[in-house]
Amino acid sequence: MSQHYTQFSSFSEAFIGFAQKARLNGFHSGIQCTKDTFESALFGLWPDKALFEYALTSLFCHEAEERVAFKKMYNQFWKQKGTVIQDKRTNKNQTSVKTNKVSTAVMLGKGNSDANEEEGEEAKTTTGANTKETLKRTDFAYLTKNQSDALDELSEKLVKEMSQRLKRRRKKANKGQIDIANSIRLNIQNGGNIIKLSRKNKKKDKYRLMVILDVSGSMDKYSFYLLKFLWSLRSNFKEVEVFTFSTSLLRITDYISDKNMAGALAMVSRHAKHWSSGTKIGKCLTDFNDNYSKRYLNGKTITIVLSDGLDTGKPEILDAAMKHIKMRSKKLIWLNPLKGMQGYEPIQVGMQAALPSLNHFGSAHNFSSLLELENILLDA
Amino acid sequence: MVDNPRELIPIIDNLGYVVEEELATVLYLMMKLEKPLLLEGNPGVGKTKIAHILSEYLGYELIRLQCYEGLDVNNAIYEWNYQKQLLAIKISESSNKSDREKEEMIFGEEYLLKRPLLRAITNNKRMILLIDEIDRADEEFEAFLLELLSDFQISVPELGTISAKQKPIVVLTSNRTRELSDALKRRCLYHWVDYPSAEKELKIIKKHIPNIESQLANKIADFVEKVRTLKLDKTPGIAETIDWAKGIAALDNDDAAMYNSLSCLLKSNHDIQAVKNEFFTSD
Repeated sequence: MSQHYTQFSSFSEAFIGFAQKARLNGFHSGIQCTKDTFESALFGLWPDKALFEYALTSLFCHEAEERVAFKKMYNQFWKQKGTVIQDKRTNKNQTSVKTNKVSTAVMLGKGNSDANEEEGEEAKTTTGANTKETLKRTDFAYLTKNQSDALDELSEKLVKEMSQRLKRRRKKANKGQIDIANSIRLNIQNGGNIIKLSRKNKKKDKYRLMVILDVSGSMDKYSFYLLKFLWSLRSNFKEVEVFTFSTSLLRITDYISDKNMAGALAMVSRHAKHWSSGTKIGKCLTDFNDNYSKRYLNGKTITIVLSDGLDTGKPEILDAAMKHIKMRSKKLIWLNPLKGMQGYEPIQVGMQAALPSLNHFGSAHNFSSLLELENILLDA
Repeated sequence: MVDNPRELIPIIDNLGYVVEEELATVLYLMMKLEKPLLLEGNPGVGKTKIAHILSEYLGYELIRLQCYEGLDVNNAIYEWNYQKQLLAIKISESSNKSDREKEEMIFGEEYLLKRPLLRAITNNKRMILLIDEIDRADEEFEAFLLELLSDFQISVPELGTISAKQKPIVVLTSNRTRELSDALKRRCLYHWVDYPSAEKELKIIKKHIPNIESQLANKIADFVEKVRTLKLDKTPGIAETIDWAKGIAALDNDDAAMYNSLSCLLKSNHDIQAVKNEFFTSD
């Protein structure tokens, strides 16, 4: 049930209630924001609800896309008459947990069946030196429930290690320009004659990762694990943007930014209505180009498409979309889970259309193949 | 200073900028709360102009920092006057000053070159500080701005913290070529500047070209609104519309003039061809 300002005993309480509601709805509103709400009201914008709405929009929204959701929330709270006050925090948490449990099963392509059914199932694994290696090399499609849980833990650790290695290697790069101020300071005792040179640290050339994940029905066995990997990646690399697609496109970067993996997956499941549907890669990538490429792609972006390439659209559309992405990115990479299968050849129409634009075509069927990303990032 | 955002609308209108109630409220609030304002929107929608209009309205000097990739503290906040420092060291060679005293001397305020951000907070008069196209600067530079945006102060390692004598009115603009940090956004009021509706664009055209025929102005505003629905390399902004209207008015005010002056509105051959194919192909 939605809260309404008339349910509060005073306007002060209502302002605080609104700020809390905004926070629960995912708007980044701190104490300062609540304080500014009060001040806006004091400056004569309250009780003019139109002006007050404009003021609060500028305080609570940090992106153009947030304005629609904010307007809806504002109208619910300040304009329409509500009914019963409920503890939304408790409800939300309960819903999140429930959604997550179901969503995990749906993401794995198992409908609403109990996820534990998989426990005890015989896994098809490749041989490895130890459990860790076995896990890394097991095809996602054949992971048991226990292995899946173990991989979650391992994945966080390995991605963190990868991130640290990459940071260390970048730090070891050569030193940069001369630091004049510090050089003068160093040489005061030499009467200003510059004998010792001080150098600034070389500016790190930061890259940005753009990952576009296929969550269509044919990717069911992989997309859930790939999403978990992307969550780990996002936790360790600030500059990662993630989109999902099947028949439509969705930006999920904010959802998977949750520090808790279960929370992040629950958020994605709430918003990704297109999970497990058909595949229109060309259409979705064109949509990406039209609406997001100017904003997210530049000479420092490495774009990674995670998909099996089983497109049902016209190959010309995919070809044109891929060319556009290639033109705007530093590197364009396609990771295909099917490439891990013995005897796989990229002969599907979709893959044939995409291949000419790719800088790298790799597999993404197990964790080990995903960790290859480190070499790609190092090359960049 | 006005007591209600709606009072701002005619004032800003008289200064040559068509403003709606929402933006007027945000401007009113920014002045009252003394918070920086972040304006996001596509290029050419009039974000930068808002800072100029504020400067004109309030009578404060405008200081502009144009951001670019690689912009650093030395270009935006302060730099030491190295030549002067070296001369001072030479002159003090024969003095009895210790190295420490010499260092203190040459890293004093006298040897500091103030760049736009430092100038904006050390000026005795209140200023409008325009940080233009912040999305072009590196993420690291955003971190330098945080202290200024929240506390209106800047820390210089050798001198300590310099607080604003008069809090500047800060306007940041972004074309949204990259995501800005949450920390920066949190410190600002946010307003999205969209392309104007045909109705608003009509008012803008008439404001800039008072002698234009109403029918032509209407036609231009409607046409540009349709053009913006096409997939173009560069969607025309307000400045382009005004240029185009001026171009047509200077020609014969007919369809041929519209066709021939499309290069005032569109900035690539691909876009011109796309618009010609969509709107000018003969039956």
